[in-house]
Amino acid sequence: MSVSPSRKITQILGAELEKLVTLPSIWLTLIGIFILNLVLATAFTSIGLQGAAGTQSILNIGLASMGYLQAGFIILGIVATCSEYAGGQIRTTLTTIPWRGLQLSTKHLALAIITIPVAFIIVASGVLYTFFMMRDTAVGFKTDTMIMIKTLVGATGYLTLTTLLSAAIGALLRRTTPALVVLLGYYFIVSPLSRDFLPSIKNYSPDMAGYYMYMPPSSDEINVLTPMQGTSILMLWTLIFITVAIVVYRKRDA
Amino acid sequence: MRAFNAELSKLFSLPGIWLAFLIGVFAPAVIAALDSIAQQEEIIAGVSTRLSEVGYIGLALGVQGVIILGVLAVSSEYLTESSESGGGGQITTSLTVIPSRLHFLLAKAGAVTVISILLCIVAIMTTVSATHLILGEYAPAFEWPRLIGVVCYWTFTALLAFGITVLTKNGIIPLAVLIINTSVVSFSFLLSKVTKLALYLPDRAGLEMFMFMSDRFLTPFKGGLVMFAWLVVLFIVATIVFHRRDVAS
Repeated sequence: MSVSPSRKITQILGAELEKLVTLPSIWLTLIGIFILNLVLATAFTSIGLQGAAGTQSILNIGLASMGYLQAGFIILGIVATCSEYAGGQIRTTLTTIPWRGLQLSTKHLALAIITIPVAFIIVASGVLYTFFMMRDTAVGFKTDTMIMIKTLVGATGYLTLTTLLSAAIGALLRRTTPALVVLLGYYFIVSPLSRDFLPSIKNYSPDMAGYYMYMPPSSDEINVLTPMQGTSILMLWTLIFITVAIVVYRKRDA
Repeated sequence: MRAFNAELSKLFSLPGIWLAFLIGVFAPAVIAALDSIAQQEEIIAGVSTRLSEVGYIGLALGVQGVIILGVLAVSSEYLTESSESGGGGQITTSLTVIPSRLHFLLAKAGAVTVISILLCIVAIMTTVSATHLILGEYAPAFEWPRLIGVVCYWTFTALLAFGITVLTKNGIIPLAVLIINTSVVSFSFLLSKVTKLALYLPDRAGLEMFMFMSDRFLTPFKGGLVMFAWLVVLFIVATIVFHRRDVAS
């Protein structure tokens, strides 16, 4: 049976989307991230209200939870690709979709389609909560709507790219635990440490470059990279990892 | 005793365990070495402030290795495999062989404890030699009470990971929570700014056993006691839940 290429891609995309949407752990992860983010926003807001008012903007406090939030999105990416290998689903997948490169790239696309709105809602809910809690303090009126939207978009992009990067690593390693250890170990242990020891190259690592995507402009800190530069570096990292994952995936025994 | 041997052999045959050993043995030494090099420059400049911490930071972060150990020991039992290879679910086989669930848990916890202690002793040796090699006479004094604190911290953390995984049956949540919590940006540190009660959380209390915190709250002995109390409570809950749960679900 011959199917036109565009129709083929739509069908694969539909199948991948459906697989992701029906995966219970995806929903558990998303609900977990959402609740966690609100709890963190509450904690950071209460610290912000205690601390010296006027030194930090609402955006800084609202986005303070990003460091923890990325862990949730790393899990999301890993679960999306590693779930194929947990019960031998991969063989069914490859029987129905024998084009491996196409299948894996469509999976990333489907993951991005799901992640973008969710990441935006989660980030915005945290910032909005902070906004409502701190509106009464004097700092509240300094926030510009334009900067706020730009930062929210940047944060969404950062989380989406991080998810895709994790999905690529998950596809490479095929097992949840090693992938999780490698990524969390990098983002939470290696990277913060290497900032002190290797200051010269830190701006080109995926997480630091990504940080510039949503870092609110401030007067006392020098932004080394513009948001666009940060985005392109992180995007480059993500594309490299996805390409490696696809190349390995095409060569390897399922 | 035979159950204990069986658990040891199961643990050693896990592929992921080598990742745990690798991280547990080399990460503390590497971190301590990097930190020592940074400290060396500060010593020369005469501005060194936290020399006594150097090696211990490596040991505090190297605990990741035993976290993986504790999580894998339980989560591997619940791993599902494809129907072609029997569907997985090692736990059913394990409980057929050792019908007493309490015995099973104790044997497993014992195996995890023994491996953690051994791993920690090796890590201490590599870390101490790394700091001495780089810092020479400036190397921090490694006193026995503090080193025993490190061993206790590693063992308790491994068992904490073990207990949480018994409750969740899945490795993702305990791994994520514990890895983040032992990192530079821990939840406990954040919470301790909201409420002082967070200083009694197990990881924060456990660190008091060997780290000199700027905001010291508990004595080393009390810190260890608080962490142990958490562990006991967790184990009682985990045992009850494990005892009442249907294995197949």
